[in-house]
Amino acid sequence: MTISKALFSTLSISALALAAPASAKIATGSNVSDMTVTDSNGVQHNLSDFAGKKVVLEWTNEGCPYVAKHYDTNNMQKTQAMAEADGAVWLSVISSAPGKQGYKTPDEANAWKDSKGAVSTAIVLDPEGDMGKAFAAKTTPHMYIIDEAQTLVYQGAIDDNPSANHATVAGAKNYVVAAMDDLKAGNPVAVSDTPAYGCSIKYKS
Amino acid sequence: MRAFIVTFFIWLLALPAFAGESERVDTGKVIASIVSSHDSVAPGQDFYIALRTELDEGWHTYWRNPGDSGEPVQIAWDLPNGVTAGEISWPLPRPIPTGPIVNYGFEGTPLFPVKFTLSPDVKTGSDITITSNFYYLVCADICIPEQGSVSLTLTAGQPIEDALWSAAIQSALEESPKRGDVRGAIQKSGDVVDISFTNLPEGDFSGAYFFPYQQGVLGHSNPQSVTRGAKGLRLSTVPEYLWDSATPEVFKGVLTYENGGQLSGVNVALAVGESLDIGPTAMPKSSVAGGTLWTAIFGALIGGLILNLMPCVFPVISIKALSIAKTAHGERRVIRREAWLYTAGVMATFLVLTGVLLALKAGGAEIGWGFQLQSPKVVAALAVLLFVIGLNLLGVFEFGSGLQNTGQALTQKSGAAGSFFTGALAVIVATPCTAPMMAGAVGYALAAPAAVTLAVFMSLAIGFALPFLLIAYVPGVLSKLPKPGPWMARFKEALSFPMFAAAIWLVWVLNLQAGEDGLLVVLSAMLAVAIAIWCFKHGRLFGKAVGALAAIAALMMPLSLSAGAAAGDVVAAELKAEAWSPARVQQLQSEGRPIFVDFTAAWCVTCKVNEKLVLNTAKVQSLFEDTNTAFLVADWTNKDDVIAAELAKYGRAGVPLYLVYSNNSVSPAILPQTLSYNVIKAAIAGE
Repeated sequence: MTISKALFSTLSISALALAAPASAKIATGSNVSDMTVTDSNGVQHNLSDFAGKKVVLEWTNEGCPYVAKHYDTNNMQKTQAMAEADGAVWLSVISSAPGKQGYKTPDEANAWKDSKGAVSTAIVLDPEGDMGKAFAAKTTPHMYIIDEAQTLVYQGAIDDNPSANHATVAGAKNYVVAAMDDLKAGNPVAVSDTPAYGCSIKYKS
Repeated sequence: MRAFIVTFFIWLLALPAFAGESERVDTGKVIASIVSSHDSVAPGQDFYIALRTELDEGWHTYWRNPGDSGEPVQIAWDLPNGVTAGEISWPLPRPIPTGPIVNYGFEGTPLFPVKFTLSPDVKTGSDITITSNFYYLVCADICIPEQGSVSLTLTAGQPIEDALWSAAIQSALEESPKRGDVRGAIQKSGDVVDISFTNLPEGDFSGAYFFPYQQGVLGHSNPQSVTRGAKGLRLSTVPEYLWDSATPEVFKGVLTYENGGQLSGVNVALAVGESLDIGPTAMPKSSVAGGTLWTAIFGALIGGLILNLMPCVFPVISIKALSIAKTAHGERRVIRREAWLYTAGVMATFLVLTGVLLALKAGGAEIGWGFQLQSPKVVAALAVLLFVIGLNLLGVFEFGSGLQNTGQALTQKSGAAGSFFTGALAVIVATPCTAPMMAGAVGYALAAPAAVTLAVFMSLAIGFALPFLLIAYVPGVLSKLPKPGPWMARFKEALSFPMFAAAIWLVWVLNLQAGEDGLLVVLSAMLAVAIAIWCFKHGRLFGKAVGALAAIAALMMPLSLSAGAAAGDVVAAELKAEAWSPARVQQLQSEGRPIFVDFTAAWCVTCKVNEKLVLNTAKVQSLFEDTNTAFLVADWTNKDDVIAAELAKYGRAGVPLYLVYSNNSVSPAILPQTLSYNVIKAAIAGE
């Protein structure tokens, strides 16, 4: 645990060039430019490639009932479509380790995306959990929004109803939609930090 | 008969189903039911119904604040008219880590009691059917939301407690956190939140943990480091995002600890933006030397050794060393006796000093090493003493052979009492100096139980006396000492000057402590001493009487002093310094400025040396200017509980202490007691 923590802190510091303590989350308002990740088509992305665009990160795990709530009710797909229409890049991130719930090979990830009708830009595969831990992602879903200047402007839950009950999607306030609307109107994000809810991410360690 | 037994057993097996328990439903990973404290309830009476959940091995459900992920156990009730339900009395949560994620929840068979009230209007004899619709997320490595619904029927009438469940509910209620007298406060400074508690109940707080009700207050997955003080407890951990925006006046939660091997908990409301005085801390958080008893003892030993080199001690020691050197060319047996007598003198004096310290500490005083010098009386008396020793070294007079041997020892064999009192004197003049290695050890000692304090101080004493024991026992050291000769008389006279210098410094300290009046008193006392010495040297009976009067006057005058003039500003007038306060540190931190804090006192030699050689140099001053570093001075020349508490927070019992809050550090860096430009520069840069 301590070794992995030390390793993680080295990773996150070198990856993010941030002098944040280990396991601490990235403060909203921090710059998050430099990090390379690989998607389900084998393409490498560096977050800095997306400078000038908004980036939405969504941590996901197919087996998690909270993720199921948002996909089965089409809420996540609708939110993705809204962001895409807005010119944003949407990365769905799977940080489940091999053998743990939600882990997907590249092919499985693509098949899952098709079956759900998801319109995310790419699915990032993070079986080592490096990206998840660098962002201190805790839950599925756990949402992050990075603005055009590569500043983290939102992190937390997708909406304000922390329940796995599908009926709770209707009537909930979707924080991601609200933040995107704020950005579109040229305003600072009004609600920039919320408690993420859902299943724990099934990290390797 | 047989039929009866069989029936009886069937009845026993089926008991949970009839009595105060609903049917048990298996929701997947959990078997759930509701249980009642009563089978029959009187109108107007309170009773309890609890959700009982039997979790599969390795699975957990969640507390009201589930932590990093998860969802709390939820119960909705369908109730007949006249029945009202209260809130869940939550059982004590446990932190449940999964990789880097920490949840707050329950394993095993937790019971969730809820208080009910039956209205007085309900008719006796009527059935009361209570239905619980419950929901919980149950997780192992994966999570499953499960739910169910169960009902239980009670009767309105004579109150009858349920034989099985009233006791179980009662014990669950007893284990659930209580509202106690515990006071709590939470304060964020930089990237650290300190939660302090006082008025603690009996118990073992070494594994204490605070569970906040609200999310966003603390980073759940960050450890809470425990610092135990004599009057309370402090937990340090990492703040969450709620602090970024407006924070409420109080945060509530549960503090858990162990009591008699059992986990216990109290509900605490934390006052926001405050810090409670938890008293001297038992476990120094981050001192260089002082983590354990043995490092403290070793640190004290080395510190004692270094004390010998302090400017006020060195002359006394050198004279003693020379006197031994003279004997050295005589018999080794005599040298050993002298060395042990000297050691005995040192130890006895330290013992007295430790006793006084412990007595003051038991009286609740916030004290540290050098505490004696916070009294102007002691400072004045020491100044006069150093003046007298100086005169003696200079050869103005010689002590009677019974009292002190620094003078005559050079020409004649020293007496036993001489060696003993040299040891005592050396300790007394050493007290103004805190040797670098000693700080952590003494800080540790003062916060520890009396036996440990004593052990550490005795180790300090042995370290202090060690040079003489080495001379006596290590062959070869003796022959290294210079040969005695007429030069020794010259050398002895020359050593009077550091003594006078030390006296001047103490007079200056006194001036800061007690103002001009103090100056007048101490200088008059020195005059009286000079008169007394002169009278004794030359006078007959009348002269000696005058001398005695003068001596008494010299002794009494210092005792008339009391602390007066404000010290503070003078100490660092040369630097653009501000007075230290915890509030000022917070304010500067919020402005994002680096901060250097100098915990100092006029009577602290190490502090003065550092100020002169490092802090007051143009190089360091321009470093502070270039980096926009605020220079704060916490002046401990006079007694100050706030400063003493802050020192205790860093495991110190005395000054100097140098802290640097760099822009990007979690908590202040503690600099070594021997400062250098590079050390300060690196600390400000956060390296």
